Amino acid sequence: MPIAIESYREEHQNAVRAFNQRLRAGTSEPDLVFYEQCHSAWLPKLDGSPLYNKYFVAQEDGAVHGAYALKYEHFFSPEQGEFVVACYHHSLSEGIIDRRYFSVGGLLLRDAVRREPMLYALGMGGYDQPLPKMLKAMGWELRSVPFYFNVVHPYRFLRQMRVLRQSFLQRWMMDLAAFSGIGWTALEAWQKTKRMRVSSDLGSVEAVKVEEFADWADKLWLEAKDAYHLASVRDHRTLTRLYPHSQKHLTKLCVYQQGRPIGWAVVGERRNDPKYGSLRVGSIVDCWALPTNAKQIIYCAALELEANGMNLIVSNQSHKQWRRALEECGFFAAESNFVFATSKKFSGLLQKSDFGQFHLNRANGDGLPGNF
Amino acid sequence: MASVAQRVHSIASDVFGVPAQRIFPDSSPVTLERWDSTQHLTFVLALEESFQLQFSPEETERIRTIGDAVKLVEEKIQVEGK
Repeated sequence: MPIAIESYREEHQNAVRAFNQRLRAGTSEPDLVFYEQCHSAWLPKLDGSPLYNKYFVAQEDGAVHGAYALKYEHFFSPEQGEFVVACYHHSLSEGIIDRRYFSVGGLLLRDAVRREPMLYALGMGGYDQPLPKMLKAMGWELRSVPFYFNVVHPYRFLRQMRVLRQSFLQRWMMDLAAFSGIGWTALEAWQKTKRMRVSSDLGSVEAVKVEEFADWADKLWLEAKDAYHLASVRDHRTLTRLYPHSQKHLTKLCVYQQGRPIGWAVVGERRNDPKYGSLRVGSIVDCWALPTNAKQIIYCAALELEANGMNLIVSNQSHKQWRRALEECGFFAAESNFVFATSKKFSGLLQKSDFGQFHLNRANGDGLPGNF
Repeated sequence: MASVAQRVHSIASDVFGVPAQRIFPDSSPVTLERWDSTQHLTFVLALEESFQLQFSPEETERIRTIGDAVKLVEEKIQVEGK
């Protein structure tokens, strides 16, 4: 029987577990496994909600040899209004450990495009990974979402860099030509100066931790959505699903200026990753405001992470004003492996749009909630 | 005019980065080092574009060797009367 790709159902669960066992045995990456429950624990399909995950498996004679997920959501552009898009994520093929299944990766991708032509993928570890290469072969457009980092404790960071030797962290610092030879105390002083300048620019800005998003989030969404060429919908209903009250790993901040909410941010500590050694890494995961208020949001988000003991703060932002805000708050740009890829149909819709005016960040990718 | 087999071999040569003289009907992912999942997809897409065909998932899966690709393209051409 040929391989058939179908919706993941309970009857496939044992076969998916067996698939995962083979993957674990064949690779050195324990996270390279598929969901063992057919119903998504994160973003399950709920009546009336436009935001949900669906899973699909490639099975042959009862054995699963591949799988992928689609996260359905709404995006918004001033030209198109609100429209449905799906994020293609967590695709896995047994071909990575058994060449007999080399065709499965392509089958999964073509199946996804057939089911939902309006697709994107985000993250993927860089252009040289197999998935981005396949997407490019399929005529998708690929762009990298710029990456920024802020070193909160330069001395600790330096010590870890020595431990990590030829790590990508060292490559980042090598790119900081402006600081070569100046020294770490100067770096710390420079960053503090930047932060103080921003602080004096911003006047009465205050961030308040909130347990959940409320109607104020709707007002902020409506206020800012037309300022972007493209953004995923971030109204109260969507935010409540993405960041429910029960979810404690991420901190939700509402940012006020002169007593009025002007934006929000979601920040959190990334889970341990060997490439960062023992550094505690905080991430500005998601955020929203008018572009002109980006600096206030970034400033507050970074302060919160610093107060929580992070040694390093990272963020990916596509919009030029959010990127400028990061730079003004003392962040450095570094090589990004966070790739935004759009299917032919989605790319067609975005033809006349400026990528520098898209609002994309970490939360649009496939890392939530597993990376935190 | 080049035969179907010659055209398929030429496409395979381009995609897998191997001279056409080293492409044989039994060439496969086992014998062609660059024939991985990405290049397989590229190969399928290149065949579709070159012959103006659309392969179903089942047909795509049948392509395990260059000979399979030639046979499939010839069958499709006959069926679709191109």
